[in-house]
Amino acid sequence: MNNYLKYLGLVLFAINSNLISQNIIINSSVTESPLEITIASEPDYPPYCIVDENGNADGFSIDLIKAATKAVGIKLNIKIGVWNEIKNDLAIGKIDALPLVGRTPERESLYDFTLPYLSLHGAIFVKEGTLDIDSLEDLKGKTISVMKGDNAEEFILRENISKTVISTHTFEEAFHMLENGESDAVITQRIMGIKLLENMGIKTIKPLDIHIPQFRQDFCFAVQKGNRELLTKLNEGLSIIIANNTFNEIQLKWFGTTSKRELDIKDILWMSVYIFIPLFIIMLVISIFLLNRKVRQKTKYLENEILEHNKTFNDLKLQKDLLSHSEQQIRLLLNSTAEGIYGIDQKGNCTFCNRSALNLLGYADINSVIGKNMHQLIHHSHANKSKYLEEDCKIYIAFRKGKEIHVSNEVLWKADGTYFDAEYFSYPIKQDGKSIGAVITFWDITKDKIIKDELKKTKEYLENLINYAQAPIIVWDTELNIERFNRAFERLTGLKFDEVIGKNIDIIFPGNSREESIRLINSLKIDSRSETIEIEIKNIDGSIKNVLWNSAKIYDSDNNLIATIAQGNDITERKVAENELKKIKDNLEIEVQKQTAELNEKLKKLDKSQRAMLYMIEDLNEVTSELKNERRKLELSNKELEAFSYSVSHDLRAPLRAIDGFSKFLEEDFSNKLDDEGKRLLKVIRENAKKMDRLIADMLNLSRLSRIEINYTKIDMEKMVESIYNEIANDNDKNTFEFNVETLPKVNGDSTLIEQVWTNLIGNAIKYSQKSQIKKIVISAEDKEEYIEYKIQDFGAGFNEKYVSKLFGVFQRLHTEIEFEGTGVGLAIVKRIIHRHGGEVWAKGEINKGATFYFSLPKKN
Amino acid sequence: MDKQNIVEILIVEDNPNDAEMALRALKKNNLTNNVLVVVDGEEALDFIFHKNKFVNRDGFNQPKIILLDLKLPKVDGLEVLKELKNNEETKMIPVIVLTSSKEESDILESYKLGVNSYIVKPVDFDKFVEAVRQLGLYWLLLNESPVNRS
Repeated sequence: MNNYLKYLGLVLFAINSNLISQNIIINSSVTESPLEITIASEPDYPPYCIVDENGNADGFSIDLIKAATKAVGIKLNIKIGVWNEIKNDLAIGKIDALPLVGRTPERESLYDFTLPYLSLHGAIFVKEGTLDIDSLEDLKGKTISVMKGDNAEEFILRENISKTVISTHTFEEAFHMLENGESDAVITQRIMGIKLLENMGIKTIKPLDIHIPQFRQDFCFAVQKGNRELLTKLNEGLSIIIANNTFNEIQLKWFGTTSKRELDIKDILWMSVYIFIPLFIIMLVISIFLLNRKVRQKTKYLENEILEHNKTFNDLKLQKDLLSHSEQQIRLLLNSTAEGIYGIDQKGNCTFCNRSALNLLGYADINSVIGKNMHQLIHHSHANKSKYLEEDCKIYIAFRKGKEIHVSNEVLWKADGTYFDAEYFSYPIKQDGKSIGAVITFWDITKDKIIKDELKKTKEYLENLINYAQAPIIVWDTELNIERFNRAFERLTGLKFDEVIGKNIDIIFPGNSREESIRLINSLKIDSRSETIEIEIKNIDGSIKNVLWNSAKIYDSDNNLIATIAQGNDITERKVAENELKKIKDNLEIEVQKQTAELNEKLKKLDKSQRAMLYMIEDLNEVTSELKNERRKLELSNKELEAFSYSVSHDLRAPLRAIDGFSKFLEEDFSNKLDDEGKRLLKVIRENAKKMDRLIADMLNLSRLSRIEINYTKIDMEKMVESIYNEIANDNDKNTFEFNVETLPKVNGDSTLIEQVWTNLIGNAIKYSQKSQIKKIVISAEDKEEYIEYKIQDFGAGFNEKYVSKLFGVFQRLHTEIEFEGTGVGLAIVKRIIHRHGGEVWAKGEINKGATFYFSLPKKN
Repeated sequence: MDKQNIVEILIVEDNPNDAEMALRALKKNNLTNNVLVVVDGEEALDFIFHKNKFVNRDGFNQPKIILLDLKLPKVDGLEVLKELKNNEETKMIPVIVLTSSKEESDILESYKLGVNSYIVKPVDFDKFVEAVRQLGLYWLLLNESPVNRS
């Protein structure tokens, strides 16, 4: 910094080389336009701006501005004020300049700055023993105290060091807060901070020993924005005091150096005072007169020169900034590209290398690459491990010839000993037409290679697929010229691929359907893959093939139609078969029609017989309903019969009772008036009445048999027969009769009714045997498969078989009442009961020899 | 006392000859006191339930037995039987069916309705007298009846 200022001062000084003492000359020149300015200084920015014991402004910056203004003849008034206020005062023009202002981007819009005369570094101040703050990053979340409006505050806000910032009026206050533990750190200029702490007598706060490059501050004099005149003057003053060593003197005064060196300068100063000044004054007086005129001219010229140089200086600085900026950008660019980039010198050694190159080659540290021979490092072998000699290396051959080269079939070797397929460009770096090195850009093409291989495979696959497909495939361009024609298509047409390539598609169509086919092809909708059209294809042997076609459009990447691919299906044979089938179908239809007609005929016949059957069913229904009617009538007549029987049993008996009863009354009441004959007559009347009663009872019994329901049970016939005999035969009979019962099978029947049958038959046998010599009854049975035949034989009166038919009739008798009493109903009852069981009854007999009665009963009951 | 009020035997019989024979049979057995003959079912019910011409009859004296023919004008015998046996007050009066009918349906129906005896009138008057004697002996002398005891 110091050297830089000195150098700058010398340059400016050289401009005034004609002058013996520019101090005096400029002073005199400025006296013509005396200028007075007011500045303000802060009291507590040691050692730059402070106040002395008298309350006057003091400090390095104050001395500097005093000297500079003095050098250009400006009268200076100095006020004292708090930084934040005086800063504003300058912005609004209340004062003309500030002696110590750090140049920051934020302030550029408010002030104009002179040359920087001081560059200071910031520091973090913490209390001794603070362990958790070691860097700027550690301040995140900490409380920082800082003077309001100070460039340290601006820095903290700009860099977002911490969210907790306490603004104070002065740095003293900020340090007090730190000391009291109200804040964790203070950020300010290192030297100023140290000085201030010394003045305050605080020893427990120390600056951290770390560098804050972001907080390097250039300090200048500042004027109100746009005050070019004052700015120029102050720059001029600064240049002068730097050039005439006043600057160094002031610096020595405030920051000191070894006491020895200070003494040397003092000696020189004293020597100057005693030896040179008197001489100098004499020369000065002479010069004033000699050069007075020239000075005025020169002054004007110099002022212009200074302005010009200032401008040049500013331009130079701007260009330097731009250069630095663009260098940064280039570096950024280099590091942000995906391609690996490195440079080599004439010997092939690496001069630079970007981040991608390191990544691609697998190196972590750039120093592993820089300065190394790149061929030996990454290009030493081929993919097959064979040696790749440096003299064969395409990069070197190219750059020696000063040419650029592009290679994509080589490999580069990585740090771990593996390699990758790489593509690279090498550009020579030329100086004065001579190659002094090369820049190589490269990238990994492993993936590209895989894709290429895949593409190649796919292409071959498709080629084979198309060429050897069974279906004919053809591709034509937008002009309907044939582009592709596979083997199947060659077979279909008899044409060879070489013969048709590039020719119009119409050569494959037969003449008569050509126009129609072209029209069909053109009418195919875009992307109508599913649409199938039939187009005839001509074979060179003259045959015509029927082919079904599907097609698809092919587009380029810009979606322009470039070709149509069509696949055919030769259906010629199928068509023939279809025609055959159609013929067969037609014949079949005729046959079907014929058979249908025959069937219809048969159906008609069937219909007739069906109708006949329907008529029969109708007839049957009629019969059935007639039968039903008959049955209803029968039921009705049965009911009538019942009513009749009831009436008979009740009403017919009443008169009989009256006849008998009143005959009795007559007999009892008038017995004295009746003689024997009268009494006999009454007796006859009464006997007839009783006989009538018996007849009625028998008749009712018979009629009831027709209506009664039969309850089948298994009947033990032997037991039944014995029991009945014992019941109806009186003691006399039992003594005189021989009663033989043979084995009788059991049978199903209504036991009450069958009992009645046996009662009647056994009763008859006893009755009709009374007058016979042989009193014998034999009962037997015979099993006749489907029924059982029972038989009762007696040896009594018998009967004449001539009248056998009357035997079973109602009220039919073959004997007189006097011979054998009876009503003539007994056998009728037997017959009715056996018939109701589904059996038969019959008899054999001979007069005076006896009678045999038979009855059969079915087993199935 | 009114004859109506002391009826011991109620004969329900439409046939006057039969009625006469019945009375004679009873007489032969010395049972003729306090016998009343009504000629149809309606009259029989009127008597029992004190209606119409029997409205003034002493309600506390019911007959000791009722001889009931089945075939009757207006209301037949089975209907009369049903009314008597369905009524709490009259169901205890012994009812003897005395009929010409030997029909099984009549016999069954009568017993179902709660008849106390079923006698078929014999044509032989001697047998009729014997039957009446026996039933009179049984129902009027031997049998302990709950009627008129309370």
